[in-house]
Parts: sequence; C-alpha cells; structure tokens
Amino acid sequence: MFENILFFISSFLVLGGATMVVLSKNLMHACIFLLFTLFGVAGLYLTLGADFLAAAQLVVYAGGVVILMLFGIMLTGGTENKENRFGIEKIPGMGSVKTYIVAGVSILFIATVVLKIIANYMRHYQQTDLPEYMTTVERIGHSLLTDHILAFEISSILLLGALIGAAMIARPRKS
Amino acid sequence: MVTLGSYLFLSFALFVAGLAVIIARKNIIAMLLGIELMLNAAALNFVAYTRFVNSNIDGHIMALFIIVIAAAEAAVGLAIVIRFFQLRESIHIDDAAQLQN
Repeated sequence: MFENILFFISSFLVLGGATMVVLSKNLMHACIFLLFTLFGVAGLYLTLGADFLAAAQLVVYAGGVVILMLFGIMLTGGTENKENRFGIEKIPGMGSVKTYIVAGVSILFIATVVLKIIANYMRHYQQTDLPEYMTTVERIGHSLLTDHILAFEISSILLLGALIGAAMIARPRKS
Repeated sequence: MVTLGSYLFLSFALFVAGLAVIIARKNIIAMLLGIELMLNAAALNFVAYTRFVNSNIDGHIMALFIIVIAAAEAAVGLAIVIRFFQLRESIHIDDAAQLQN
C-alpha cells in the first residue's frame, strides 16, 4: 500500500520533471526540474528496495551534479537565450520550433521501435513472488570489495583523472 | 498493480525525454542535462530488473557505477564548457565548428 503511494508520487515527479526539462524555456528552471526528476528516481529506487542507491542518488545528484550545473550556467552567461554568433542559420540556444519538430519526429520513430520490444516482452512475462524488502548495504559492500574490486579501483582512478582533468582544462590562461 | 512493465515504461519515458532534450536544444549545458536524464533511465532499468527478475546485487553495483561515471562526466563536461566560453564567449553548440583557431 505505502509503496504504491510512493510509486505514484515518484512517477508523477519523474514524468512531470522530464516533460518540463524538455519544454522549459529558461535554462535555470530546466535545471531545477531536473532536480525534481532525480528526486523521483530516488523514490523509485526506494520502491524497488534499493536503499543505498537511493541515498547515493540523492547525495551525488542533488548535492553534486545539479549544483555543478547551476554553477556552470551562472559562469557562462546565465539564462540568456543567445543565438549562435557564427554560421548562417541563427537558432536560439534553447531551441526553435524547427528543432522541436525534428526532435519530435525522431523520438516518435524510436518510441515505436522500443514500445514494440517492450510490449512483446510484457506479453510473455509472468509475475512471480517478489522477495521481501531487506537492506542492501552489507551485500553491496561485500560484493564491491570481493567480486567487483577491479572495477571499484578503476573507478577511483577515473575520478582522480576527472578531477585533475577538469582543473587542467578550466584553469585561467594568460594570452 | 505495480509491475516490471511500469518501471520499464518510466525508464523509456526518461530516455525519450533525454533524447528530445539533446536533439532540440542548442545550448551545451542543456544538452548535458539531457545526458543526465538518459543515464538515469539506464540505471533505473538495471535496478528494476534486479528486483523483478533476478535478486542478486549486480544490478545495484552497475547502477552505482553509472552514478559515479555521471558525476565524472558532469565535472569534465562543465570544465570543457567553461573553457569553450572563455575562448568563444558563447555556449551555443553550432559555434563549436572549428578544430583550431
């Protein structure tokens, strides 16, 4: 019962947030709606029994990525809807009617293909008994440090490389 | 009744929204928002299959690595955007049409 309510609230947040990220004309508002979508995905993780992932999603995305995006928006001219300065066709930064038509046609094409695959799969799917909810933190920790230790270490090297690379790329240069 | 299909449909809607953002927008930061949406759709699929089909923990591990890689990608992508803004004073994707000078 409770998980159904949480599922409906979360799916409303996900669908509404994703729609508004597509349609919003203001870049700052799109970023805030992305935050709503990420909260909704965290709620969906909770209904799926993934407590550690929900917490990681909230900490990393709401605390890290969205704040970083907001900094990026504010450092690069705010929410001005500028056209391109070079080139012949001037298209505003947040998209014109033409680009939205192109996007609509292509997602219609992809939607028919993907929904066909999902429908074919759902016809042959039988719902079995779901496992009980239980905490996954211990199992995730055990699995990360035994079976997936190589990927764990490589991801730490990846994060170090991303840190140094981002600092190198964005440093101010004299010229 | 909440089944696997509802999660698959939500993930599909997220992916389509991200794709529409990437195609329709011409602002580089807005396109990065679309990439975040698509990565979340993939991670949601992994976790849904973990609960409904097999109950081992590998899908959770995969979603965790997707979150890590999304964070790294956002940091490096925004650094590139800021550098591009220093050079060209623009964050329009069509202004990035030259390899040198």
